[in-house]
Amino acid sequence: MSRKWIAGTALLLSSAMALSACGSNSNSNEGASSPAASPSASSSAASSASAPAETTEITFAGWSSSPEEQALLQQVLDEFQAKNPTIKVKYEVIADQYMDVIKTRLIGGEAPDVFYLDAFEAPGLMEKNVLEPLDGYVTDDFDLGDFETPMLDAFKSTDGKTYGFPKDTSTLALFYNKKMFADAGIANPPTTWDELQAVAEKLTQKSGSKVSVYGLGQAPELARQMFMIQAFGGKLADDQGQAAFATPEGLKGLQLVIDQHLVAKTAGQPSDVGAGWGGEMFGQGKAAMVIEGNWAIPYLQTNFKDLDFATAEVPTVNGKKGTMAFTVGYVMNKESKHKEAAWKLISYLTGKEGMKTWTSKGFALPTRKSVSAELGYDKDPLRGALVAGGSYATTWQAGSTLPTIMNNFNNQFIAAYTGQSKLEDAMKSAQDTANNEIKAAQ
Amino acid sequence: MSKRAGNNRLREAAAGYGFMSPAILILGCFLLLPILYAIFLSVHKVNLLGEVSYKFTGTANFERMIDDQRLWIALRNTARYALIVVPSQTILALVLASILNMKIRFRNFFRVAYYLPTVTSSAVLVLIFMWIYNTNGLLNFLLEKVGLPTYNWLGDPSVALAGIMIMNIWSTAPLFMVIYLAALQDIPQSQYEAAEIDGAGVWQKFWRITVPQLKPVTFYVVVMGIIGTFQLFDQSYIFSAGSGGPNNATLTMVLLIYQYAFKNLDMGYASALAFMLAVVIMLITVIQRFFFREEKLN
Repeated sequence: MSRKWIAGTALLLSSAMALSACGSNSNSNEGASSPAASPSASSSAASSASAPAETTEITFAGWSSSPEEQALLQQVLDEFQAKNPTIKVKYEVIADQYMDVIKTRLIGGEAPDVFYLDAFEAPGLMEKNVLEPLDGYVTDDFDLGDFETPMLDAFKSTDGKTYGFPKDTSTLALFYNKKMFADAGIANPPTTWDELQAVAEKLTQKSGSKVSVYGLGQAPELARQMFMIQAFGGKLADDQGQAAFATPEGLKGLQLVIDQHLVAKTAGQPSDVGAGWGGEMFGQGKAAMVIEGNWAIPYLQTNFKDLDFATAEVPTVNGKKGTMAFTVGYVMNKESKHKEAAWKLISYLTGKEGMKTWTSKGFALPTRKSVSAELGYDKDPLRGALVAGGSYATTWQAGSTLPTIMNNFNNQFIAAYTGQSKLEDAMKSAQDTANNEIKAAQ
Repeated sequence: MSKRAGNNRLREAAAGYGFMSPAILILGCFLLLPILYAIFLSVHKVNLLGEVSYKFTGTANFERMIDDQRLWIALRNTARYALIVVPSQTILALVLASILNMKIRFRNFFRVAYYLPTVTSSAVLVLIFMWIYNTNGLLNFLLEKVGLPTYNWLGDPSVALAGIMIMNIWSTAPLFMVIYLAALQDIPQSQYEAAEIDGAGVWQKFWRITVPQLKPVTFYVVVMGIIGTFQLFDQSYIFSAGSGGPNNATLTMVLLIYQYAFKNLDMGYASALAFMLAVVIMLITVIQRFFFREEKLN
């Protein structure tokens, strides 16, 4: 997800943040020395009644996309510790190559008790049997039915066990620059892909032979284009987890993306204009439209204060609505020594109260219907389009072979995107390479 | 007599090994054992995450290489990289060293200034170069100024590897420059004087005296250069955020090994690849030695 790119490009910055985070959470337990003050502490009181004041330390790891977001999470953790004085949470930010670090630590038995897991990596870890099934811990209070079903299903294994609960979500929406639209005399955002292409034509500005402002900023990678494969009836992978996207139906949607870049020249990727990702490209005014997620909203609001932008649902392709949905969940390490405490943390973070605080500032959208309704994001002018996308979005997940498929798709798609090879050949080669690798790894 | 000599020799050997034992122990633990373990892994199918298992598969990992297209791309990239970088950096190092060996003003300043890139951490260098290579960055700005075409250095597969090549030539040449510089000062001045008396010009002196005299050092520089280029990892890793992209253009052998080992957690296959890489490097070194020896005889 885009959070990882930001973390990647700001490698130095984030490692500095990680250091400061380690320093700042050591004293967070002190203000919480009045036990039995809160309702959730009463359940822990039962088990620890005979031996009070014994604190358990649990470790907790995730990535961070901004200092503000990290501070907010720390606030939620502080509230949790205030309610559970016997539990101390050691929070750690993994700055780069999150999954590599987590997997290596799982092997070494040094993994944190609770950690973030992106839905697209979840099937791989669930298959390996390194996560704790959480079904046994769930109580009626936790209210499973309150979760959005697709987000909850993202952490269910094929045999129906639940290994994690979604902490937040985002879909993709069309972000557009209101001033550029007004200058070009466009009243409304495009609602179909044809309109999008027509509008992009008007919005593209050239200085000499070089494009200075692209009508549309694109992200030529699978995570953002999977719904384009499905738009004309294609599919990413078959039932056995083998890649199956190089079909005429699958290529049709992708061809739209490529043609707009190579033929119409009204769309470009961030690195074409020297930006790191779509949000930056859009913020710097080098693209009049981008298709991004909720994470771009706080980013644009803090870094580009003068930017006047709005969002709309992703234009329909082939008459059908489509977008991507991303979600990240909290999972528990199977080897954890403090499973009860770890569950308390997960249930608080994904519970109504914790999720409300976590999503209150709009860094991420809630996965619980009750929290959504309470915070009113469906009526939010910027986030309404993102919430609306949830009902028809393609979840970014496709079995345990997705990382392999993604790697090969991205590599070859760029070749087609930059005009080095024909889309058909590139996708065929990506599919064959991916399937070879999948077969060899089995 | 013979018995006493035997005893002596034994005692001497014991003392010798005793003195060497710290080195043997450390090398054995951190060099020999890992190599043996890697060979062990390379003939197994290893699962580390979840239930740890080692399944003996014989040569399956090596057979898998034949069909692995990404391996061939990585090998091709690495070979292309070595073919361009090694000669360039060797020639550049020799030229720089020869210039700095002359009696020019501020010689020490230049020696230090040229050496600085080698001292700088490669991670920092890559990040700085990524700024320079940015579409709106310094390099494109300069290219545009002199009327040359500009490139999307980071995103265009056809030039991404060239970007890493330029950076690496620039940062490694000074290291070899210092080695050449030391060797240059070992060449007896009398040979140059003799050549001058015979009427040799500057070029003739360089080609007939300097270059042949430096042959052993050149061998060292080329061997180290090739080993270094075949082990290219950090630059392409940072450049592509670990993916080897765009379109596998910056995928090198070691990056591929890393991806199999830590992204796919396929330690068996990764070890087999590492073993193969070691064999390739050894072969190239042997060939080079043969080549340089023969030249020496002439």
